[in-house]
Amino acid sequence: MTELISANHVESRRLPGVEGVWVFIAADMAMFGVLFVSFMLERLENPALFEQSRRALDVNFGGINTLILLTSSWFVCLAVDAAKRDQLPQVPHHLAAAFVCGLAFCASKAFEYTKKLSAGISMLTNDFYMFYYTLTGMHFMHVVAGCVVLGVLWNKSRAGAFTSDNRVGIECGASYWHMVDVLWIVLFPLLYLLR
Amino acid sequence: MKPETFPTDYGMWRLFARCGPIFMATFFFMWGVLAGNLPPAGAYLDAAQIKAHYIDNGMAITIGMSISMVGGAFYMAWGCAVSQVMRRIEGPDGMLSSIEMMGATITCAPVIIACGIWLTASIEAPALQPEIVHMLYWLGWMIIDLAYMVTTFQIFAVSIVFLRDTREKPLVPAWVNWWGFVTCAAFFPVSLIPFFKTGPFAFQGAFNFWIAFFTWYIWVTAVSIYVIKAVGRLQIEDGAATGSEAAHRSAVLAARTA
Repeated sequence: MTELISANHVESRRLPGVEGVWVFIAADMAMFGVLFVSFMLERLENPALFEQSRRALDVNFGGINTLILLTSSWFVCLAVDAAKRDQLPQVPHHLAAAFVCGLAFCASKAFEYTKKLSAGISMLTNDFYMFYYTLTGMHFMHVVAGCVVLGVLWNKSRAGAFTSDNRVGIECGASYWHMVDVLWIVLFPLLYLLR
Repeated sequence: MKPETFPTDYGMWRLFARCGPIFMATFFFMWGVLAGNLPPAGAYLDAAQIKAHYIDNGMAITIGMSISMVGGAFYMAWGCAVSQVMRRIEGPDGMLSSIEMMGATITCAPVIIACGIWLTASIEAPALQPEIVHMLYWLGWMIIDLAYMVTTFQIFAVSIVFLRDTREKPLVPAWVNWWGFVTCAAFFPVSLIPFFKTGPFAFQGAFNFWIAFFTWYIWVTAVSIYVIKAVGRLQIEDGAATGSEAAHRSAVLAARTA
C-alpha cells in the first residue's frame, strides 16, 4: 500500500516531457526576460515617446491574438489529456484545432504588420517600434516553429503514437506551446497596455 | 579479400577534442580581453572616435587579433573530433556528422577574416582616414556576426545526433543538446545588427553581444568536456567489444576441439 502511494506520488510529481525541453524553455524565457528588462529600461528613459507610440498600436489585435493563443493552449491541454486517457481518436482532432489557432495567430500578426508598415511605421521609426517589431517578431518565429511542432505531433497522433504509456513527445510539444503562450501573455500588456 | 582494418587512434581524437577549449581560451583572452572586445567599441561611435580607439589601443589590438587568427583554426580541428564521435552514433555515412564538420570548418573563415580586418585597421590606423578605419571596423563585425547561420547548422547537427544516442547514459547529456537549440535561437536576432547602433540589438548590445556570444561559449565548452569524456568511453566500449569477440572466438574454438 505504501509502495502504491509512493509510486502514485512519484507519478504525480513527474516532469512533463523530457528534462532537456525544460532547459530550453528556461533559457529561452531568460533571453526574453533580458529583452523585457531592456524594454523597461529604455521606456524609463523616454516615457513620453513610448506612451505616444503605444497609443498607435491597435489593442484589438493584441486582445484577439491573446484569445487565439489561450484557445490553442486549451486545445493542446485537451490533446494531452486525451492521450493520458487513451482516447486516441480525440488526440489528432485537438492538435489540429490548436494548429489552426496557431495559423490564425500568424495571419492576424501578418495583417497587423502589413497595416503598420503601410502606414510608414517600421522598426527604424523609433526605439518603441524597434522593440515592438523585434519582440513580436521573435515571438512570431516561435509561433511558426510551434506550428511545425504541432503539425508533426498531429501527423504522429493520427497513427496513434501517443498513449497513456507513451506521451513524452506530446508533452514536450505542449510544454513548448504553453511557453509561447506565456511569453505572449507578458508581451501583450508590456507593449499594448502598459501606460 | 577482407579489407584491411586499422586500429583507431584515440589519442589523436582526444588531442583534437581538446582544441575546443584551446580555441575558447585563446579567443576569450586575446580577442576579448587583450583586444578590448569585452564589451567592444560601440556601433554608435563616429569615425573619429573609432580611429582614436585603434590608435590608443593599437598594440594590444594587433597582438590580440594576430593570435586570434591563429587560434581560430583550432575550432576546425575540434569540429573534426566532434564529427568523429558523432559518426559512432550516426554511422560512417552520417549526413549530420558531415554538416557538423563543414560547419565548424567554415565557421573559422569569418572569425579569421574578421580578425584579419581588425588587425589591418590596428596597423594602418595612423595613416588612414577615419572613415576608412570606421568602415574596416564595421566590416569585421558584419562578417563575424552575420555568418552565424553556418555555425547554426553545425550546432543543430550536433544537438540532433547526440539526442539520438540510445545509450543508457548518452555520450553527451540531453541538457547540452537542448542548450544547443537555445544557442541557435539566440543567434537569429543577430540579423538585426545592421539596423541598430544602440540598444540590445546593436553588435555591442545586451542581446546580440552578451547573450549570443556567451550562449555559444557555454555550448562549445560543454560539448568539449563531454566529447573528451566520450572518447574515453568509446575506447572502453571498443575494448569490451573486442574482448567479448575474442572470448566468443575462444569459446567456439574450444567447442570445435572438444
